[in-house]
Amino acid sequence: MTALVRRWATLAESIQGTGKRQNQDWYAFSGTGSSADPLVLAVADGHGSAAHARSALGARFAVDRFVALATEFGRAADACHEPGGLARLMNYARNDMPRALVQSWREAALGHWARHRPVADLGLPEPGPDEKLTLYGTTLIGAVVTPWLLTAWQIGDGDLAVVGHDGSVERPLAPAEDDLGDETESLCGPQAWRSVRTHWAPVFEEARIPRLVVLSTDGLSKSFASGDGFTEFVGDMDERLATEGFEGVRDALPDWLRHASRYSGDDTTLTAALLHSYAARPQPKPDTEAGAEPDAVPDAEPDSTPGTDPGTEPEPKKKTKET
Amino acid sequence: MTGMLDSGTRLTVETGEEVQVVDMLGAGGQGEVYRVKTSAGEKALKWYYPTCATPEQEGIVRELVSRDFDDDRFLWPEAYVPWHHGSFGYLMGLRPDRFKGLPALFRRQLRTSTRALLTACLYTVEAYQALHSRGIAYRDISWGNVFFDPDTGDILVCDNDNAVVEGDASGISGTMEFMAPELVRAEPGARPGTQSDLHSLAVLLFMFLMNHHPLKGRRELAIHCLDEAAERKLYGKNPLFVFDPADDSNEPDPMEHATVLATWDASAGALQELFRRSFTAGLHDPAVRVRESEWRDALRAVRDAVVECASCGRQNMTEPGEPQPQASRPCWGCGALLVLPPRLTVTTPPPRTERHIRLPRAARVQAHHLEAEPARHDYSDASLVAELVEHPSKPGRFGIANRSSRTWAGTRSDGTSQQIGPGQTVPLRAGLELDLGDGSRAVVRAK
Repeated sequence: MTALVRRWATLAESIQGTGKRQNQDWYAFSGTGSSADPLVLAVADGHGSAAHARSALGARFAVDRFVALATEFGRAADACHEPGGLARLMNYARNDMPRALVQSWREAALGHWARHRPVADLGLPEPGPDEKLTLYGTTLIGAVVTPWLLTAWQIGDGDLAVVGHDGSVERPLAPAEDDLGDETESLCGPQAWRSVRTHWAPVFEEARIPRLVVLSTDGLSKSFASGDGFTEFVGDMDERLATEGFEGVRDALPDWLRHASRYSGDDTTLTAALLHSYAARPQPKPDTEAGAEPDAVPDAEPDSTPGTDPGTEPEPKKKTKET
Repeated sequence: MTGMLDSGTRLTVETGEEVQVVDMLGAGGQGEVYRVKTSAGEKALKWYYPTCATPEQEGIVRELVSRDFDDDRFLWPEAYVPWHHGSFGYLMGLRPDRFKGLPALFRRQLRTSTRALLTACLYTVEAYQALHSRGIAYRDISWGNVFFDPDTGDILVCDNDNAVVEGDASGISGTMEFMAPELVRAEPGARPGTQSDLHSLAVLLFMFLMNHHPLKGRRELAIHCLDEAAERKLYGKNPLFVFDPADDSNEPDPMEHATVLATWDASAGALQELFRRSFTAGLHDPAVRVRESEWRDALRAVRDAVVECASCGRQNMTEPGEPQPQASRPCWGCGALLVLPPRLTVTTPPPRTERHIRLPRAARVQAHHLEAEPARHDYSDASLVAELVEHPSKPGRFGIANRSSRTWAGTRSDGTSQQIGPGQTVPLRAGLELDLGDGSRAVVRAK
């Protein structure tokens, strides 16, 4: 799914993991990237095990609540250009937003529990709040982009990559040490706001605005044999955007994710925003097959073909806003 | 990382020296910080965002550079770097890795101890006191500017580019969370200065020890994203301490504010009392705010009264000084009742002042314990005077080892005496009196 906007082009896709009964990922994007309508991207990965039976809903609550809070944050940023305002905004981003986000998500999850209480039917004792929240456990990665600011937050696994104006690929929210195995930090954890990581990056020069922002659940990064696989994937994606243009990447994305999902066995979701001025200048490379995967994608045998009928692609999970 | 300056960019410092950008270290509320190569090795370069690169800021930086402030507790602007592509900056020392920020403490990403935190608080108080004694108001005391070593409590105050000479009317920056209420209310005549710094300092100390903001209770939960009017009410128009003894309408929420409920319970009454005054009367009357000397006295006394729980080993604050009838308190970690070890009462030379030092395993007496008015406290090995050591072949038997360069004269409770030379140890017994030299005396008490 894509949406061409005034400044940013966005794309997103989510593929259900092989053998999974339900896709427990969720994503959304909204806004144009203007001061009044900041661009917001988010992906969440519900934990999915029996202990987190409602995590698909938890992921949806996380994304929905994040989009609302981040949009508000992005709009407020417009009034924070003066020196004290900037410091205040940064303080909010780093310290208050994580608490607001966790609080809002808890409210959504506990509200849902209150409306759907199986214990009432089964005559079981009411569980404590922590036990209820565990049912909805999820990760979250979200970013907001305004004309002069990129800010992003993450709790748990998954990846955020930012391709700078010079083509450098950074993963500013990557933890110093990856979580071990399938253990990850979660919105349902005790005092979860402590585990939220924040990336704060004001940009005051038009020419230095990042050209690509990519968010994905760990179904993608787990599919690579090497730890650098995700970074290479984003680098290749950026290269494809420059050489083949936005449409080519958009058309190929579902197949890339499907391949990744086959390798990781997990739900795989990606949403990205690319600077329209960069993506709209494709330089076709005749010897490259449209729809072929970036080199970093596992299973080098491309099975997509040019001209794949978009109607046959899996339905996207969610798009908050058509622009 | 994409920032305002590319790696390799060459800039000319006002002194004429050329420096080269290596990489970006981070982005803040006023600008970005880069690692740069200079002829004197690597330094940090603060480079302002264009919107913050004002003539007023330039004036402050130039003034601070010219002061040539030499204090190892501060990363002070060392050299002005003139305008380049719409901004300017300054050079300062690089922050060593051992210094960590408070956000990492709040996120439980650091291993530290009660003693280290109390030491960090004491050093912070003394650092700002040193600044104020030179007629400089810091104006931007906040948790983003203070870094500490979680092992030793050493501190480093960074981003010192908002400090001004007392009375300077330059605009203030920063967040409302640390601003004195009269400044948040923008009262006529209210200016950032030493008095308002005392409020910010109290907030910072509370956050160090309680890991929470003193005014963020239930009322905070109703505030939406960057709602300035609501924040002004919370921090300026109607500030209310979360533990206000007369009004519980802003008390901590048991689920959202569990940390502060636990840390407050674990803290010593001597500190609770100072925090109460800071955040009740002190909110409305700057003249009654807790002075640095009061914080210093309370913090060092509480630090000297930290004991380890015999059950789980965690460090606990206890009430300093003479034991209170209700002295037994539970360990904050495991709940076991704390057992108070013997106490060493040190009397300084005139003006005579008593210091009460609890003697748990590895307790230490430092040079500042022997001074009535030490210019600066120092808990490092360099100033060690005495320490409690266990007998090498008789576990459970302790002695006080002389780590000073003087010979002590000891008198036991039975009246017998002994000389304790440097490196020698005297058995720990209630009633033991020590003449530590230069008029300093100490006596061991069972409780």
